[in-house]
Amino acid sequence: MIIERVLIFLIFITGFIGLIGVKNIIKKIIGLSLLNSSIVLLFILEASRIGDHAPILVGQEKNIVDPVPQALMLTAIVIGVCVTSLSLAMAVRLYKTTGSLDITIIKERIENES
Amino acid sequence: MRKAKLLKVFLTIIIITLATFPIIMSNVSWPTFTRDYLFVNALNETGASNTVSSIYLGYRLMDTLGETLVLFVAITGTMSILLNLHKHELESVKTQSTLVPEKRVKNALRTNLVEVVASKLGPIILLFGLYVMLFGHISPGGGFQGGVIFASAIVFLVLATDVKTKITNSHVLERIEAISFISLILITTYVIFFPEGFFSTIDIGSSFLSAGIIILLNIIIGIKVGTSIAVMIIAMMGGKHDN
Repeated sequence: MIIERVLIFLIFITGFIGLIGVKNIIKKIIGLSLLNSSIVLLFILEASRIGDHAPILVGQEKNIVDPVPQALMLTAIVIGVCVTSLSLAMAVRLYKTTGSLDITIIKERIENES
Repeated sequence: MRKAKLLKVFLTIIIITLATFPIIMSNVSWPTFTRDYLFVNALNETGASNTVSSIYLGYRLMDTLGETLVLFVAITGTMSILLNLHKHELESVKTQSTLVPEKRVKNALRTNLVEVVASKLGPIILLFGLYVMLFGHISPGGGFQGGVIFASAIVFLVLATDVKTKITNSHVLERIEAISFISLILITTYVIFFPEGFFSTIDIGSSFLSAGIIILLNIIIGIKVGTSIAVMIIAMMGGKHDN
């Protein structure tokens, strides 16, 4: 149980480094997606600690996993798709108007324009 | 300057590690009472044997409506940002992967292999997406998952050249999306006939209607999600211009 948590934490930190330490906008968006995925994985892992079977009531398995975090993560995945699509559209817009994906160059060019 | 930047990033990562590492590694035992309640009551109260479906289309339907609204707003924003861009430079770009073969540069991002495989696999994946939508109440799946599979099938059909279908047309997809969203709102007024409150689960035993509502909602949400994501991906690919 400890190794999964360490791996989820590594995914989280990787996403965070991508979000704050990289200058390319596309890599920042990939980092945002990684953050979202790590949170989803954490909730699914937590819910699976109290059971072994899928939460489908067809057999008579008594110890199903908790379905509430799975239903919540369904929402989180959809919101993650929304965030990714909107930020990718904004990245395309920024690239078309400034000609670069690097945030420092974008900032310079916007300041030169105004 | 560069060293200072690196130091800032490093310090931020140390702080975020201190903040989140105890949360991720916490070993508090997960409470089991919701699981036990749903195991006993979910099938009787909502009629769906897939408990995740019975949560997000039964107990938590209000939240699902909000979720589809968020998706709708995100699609609207993405489309309004992207469509303004593509208006000016459609003719100049010859390497877009969605153009018909006569208009694009040869082998631009696309080969014969991709076209053949996509045109053969597209209808099968479309059928599989419909299956996942329709059986969301008794097997793993549901509206959102089936909708995403549906969207990927539509993208396959966009990439295929010799498929004559209207479903890859953005205007048709947008109309289907609008109709399914309106019918999602209209269908939820069924609670008028059951005086238990807006979007509440109806407790009418193991009847047909309850699971029927969940099947209906699964199909409508699936079509809505599928068409929205397909519209968005087609817009990001540059649109399909051969019809």
